[in-house]
Amino acid sequence: MKTYETSPSFAIAKKSRVPLTEIDARSADASRKLGRVFGTSTGRPTQTSTFSSAL
Amino acid sequence: MSVILHGGEPLLAGPARLRRVCEELTAALNGIAELDLRIHTNGVQLSPRYLDLFDEFGVRVGISLDGDRTANDRHRRFADGRTSHPRVLKAVELLRQERYRHLDLGLLCTIDIENDPHAVLDALVELEPPLIDFLLPHATWDEPPPRPDGSETAYADWLLKVYDRWQHRGSPVPVRLFSSVLSTLSGGPSLTESLGLAPTDLVVIETDGQLEQVDSLKSAYEGAAATGFDVFSHSFDDVAAHPGVRARQLGLAGVSETCRRCPVVRSCGGGLYTHRYRAANDFDNPSVYCRDLEALVRGIEARVAVHPAVTDHAELVEAQQDLTRTLLAGLHADLDGRGGVRWEEAWELAGELESSEEGAAGLDHVLAHPYTRTWLLEVLGGLRAGRPEAVEEALRLPDYLAAATVRSGLGLTVPAGYRAGRLHLPTLGELRVGGEGECGTLRVTPVGDGFVARRDDSGGEWRIPHGADDPAWTPVRHLGHDAVPRFALDDLDLYRDCFGAPAASRLGPVEADEWEAGLAEAWELLEREAPSHAAAAAHSLTTLTPLAAGQHVGRPHGQGALGLTSTDDAKQLALELLGGFRRTTLRALLDVTDLYASDGTWDYRPLWRDGSVPFSRLLAETYERVAFSALDPCFMDGIDEALDMMGSAPEPTVGGKRFIAVLREEVKQTQDKWAE
Repeated sequence: MKTYETSPSFAIAKKSRVPLTEIDARSADASRKLGRVFGTSTGRPTQTSTFSSAL
Repeated sequence: MSVILHGGEPLLAGPARLRRVCEELTAALNGIAELDLRIHTNGVQLSPRYLDLFDEFGVRVGISLDGDRTANDRHRRFADGRTSHPRVLKAVELLRQERYRHLDLGLLCTIDIENDPHAVLDALVELEPPLIDFLLPHATWDEPPPRPDGSETAYADWLLKVYDRWQHRGSPVPVRLFSSVLSTLSGGPSLTESLGLAPTDLVVIETDGQLEQVDSLKSAYEGAAATGFDVFSHSFDDVAAHPGVRARQLGLAGVSETCRRCPVVRSCGGGLYTHRYRAANDFDNPSVYCRDLEALVRGIEARVAVHPAVTDHAELVEAQQDLTRTLLAGLHADLDGRGGVRWEEAWELAGELESSEEGAAGLDHVLAHPYTRTWLLEVLGGLRAGRPEAVEEALRLPDYLAAATVRSGLGLTVPAGYRAGRLHLPTLGELRVGGEGECGTLRVTPVGDGFVARRDDSGGEWRIPHGADDPAWTPVRHLGHDAVPRFALDDLDLYRDCFGAPAASRLGPVEADEWEAGLAEAWELLEREAPSHAAAAAHSLTTLTPLAAGQHVGRPHGQGALGLTSTDDAKQLALELLGGFRRTTLRALLDVTDLYASDGTWDYRPLWRDGSVPFSRLLAETYERVAFSALDPCFMDGIDEALDMMGSAPEPTVGGKRFIAVLREEVKQTQDKWAE
């Protein structure tokens, strides 16, 4: 008889992940993740110069 | 506003004149726009005298340096033939000093393929600049770049050697050119006007007041940069309306027909505008570096690792969980104290739960529930939209923690909230503790065989064993048929209304049995006809929600949820299972990585449709139909053509291309199956 387990397993990831209460939701990494699901950026978009002949 | 003092050599203006320029710009923009003031110099004259001035006005400094001494001396000697290299190095050293380091923008290197690419990169990296960029030498179709060995891709080959060296050294310094290609390959914007489709929004102000287009155009032909405008009688709006400037704002419409149909156009953008010039038809051409740009983009693409979730289910599950946890942390940050003591206590409890293995497992389970994501997105969206009720919705966190605690079996007591006389424990069920108008707090404590809930106002106590058949307790059912995965049949979750049809209300026992029987029949069909899909779905899906008739606007949810409409047709139900499984998987993937960019820019006409669709739709429909084709070969029609369309499309990111490659392999297996 076939049996199934449908609960996702996080055993491997848990060892290395940041505790929930220590996640910096304002970090660039978190903003990128949240921006993807909200489809909008927070705050005014800023764009640096794309002039190629200077930095 | 960025203002870049450029040349020629801007330091030749001398410190006094540069001071006036800085004073004038700073005063003029004060209170109107943030001024980003920069200067680009060959560094030969850079001294503390200039740098003290730049420090005063926040002028950041970029320096041209073509690499090691041999490289630099090839084009940057004094008129009498002496090398300028030591003077430039001295300028870089000065800029690296602690007092000036904050002004350092980095080094700009013009490529000469006669130079040793490794020596060039090493020389630049050793100076520890904050940024490096490489420029292709100015050239046009009328004056092509030198290609000593005749190779069409000599510049790409040179740059890829630099790229490999840069990677080998651990990417010690950002390289704008590479960052731009990596950004566009991943679905992001281009970072330089020499690559990509981002609009160019710059104007050159000559020292005599003339307003011109980007000065590199001058290398196309005499007067190419001219607009006929000047600061005395024209505005920047006049410049913005100039046809030459507008042509640089058009994105895809502003490149040649050849480029518009090219799969790498999102990354190369047709190349620097100047490099497209040919006297016979002006700028309506690919770049004179076209082959190089294509080889560079494809070369970097071949070297880039894709998000592991694209090919590894476990990675996708973990990335989804990471996203949910980040959303919860984001909610904590966005509340910023507005949740009061109730939130703070819950937040502290979440940390406590996570500190033990059992607690973390319980919390993981509840956070991985697909509709927990829906709750988080609703609340966060509400907070950001300023909806006052969002704070109260956020305060459902204790209910989620109570469910996690019950699952963990830990001896913690969680104060959860009941509303309208009911406590919802996501993933577990609903406890009726009072009348419709009652709300308050319940203390939920796991006990050996279930949990105990006590009303704070001494209004009652409920002891609910696991799997209890209690009049007050309505549990989330799980499919119990031996041959079917133990999916949750969730007709209780408050946020389950996520699909194209409205969620059905709680099923009666007879209805639930009918659902289970129907699902068992459909699942057996899936296992027989599409065993690999059945196995994948069994590992990915967790939650089935019955739907009622009607139309509904779907809401986002986490991975693993599927809405199903009741049907007696096992094949139809099996197709719905497969389709839902594919939709939730693709959605989950798109939540954590980009598979395409610039969606909607191009149209596609798959053979199974009369009209055309954007890339996103083509991908989603193909992905579903490939799964359907395992059950019914009629869904194979048009699949090869769709895969070919996607394979040569500009939209897919490097991850999207890998996804399509995996899909192509899946198609081949299905074709083999039906050929047997």
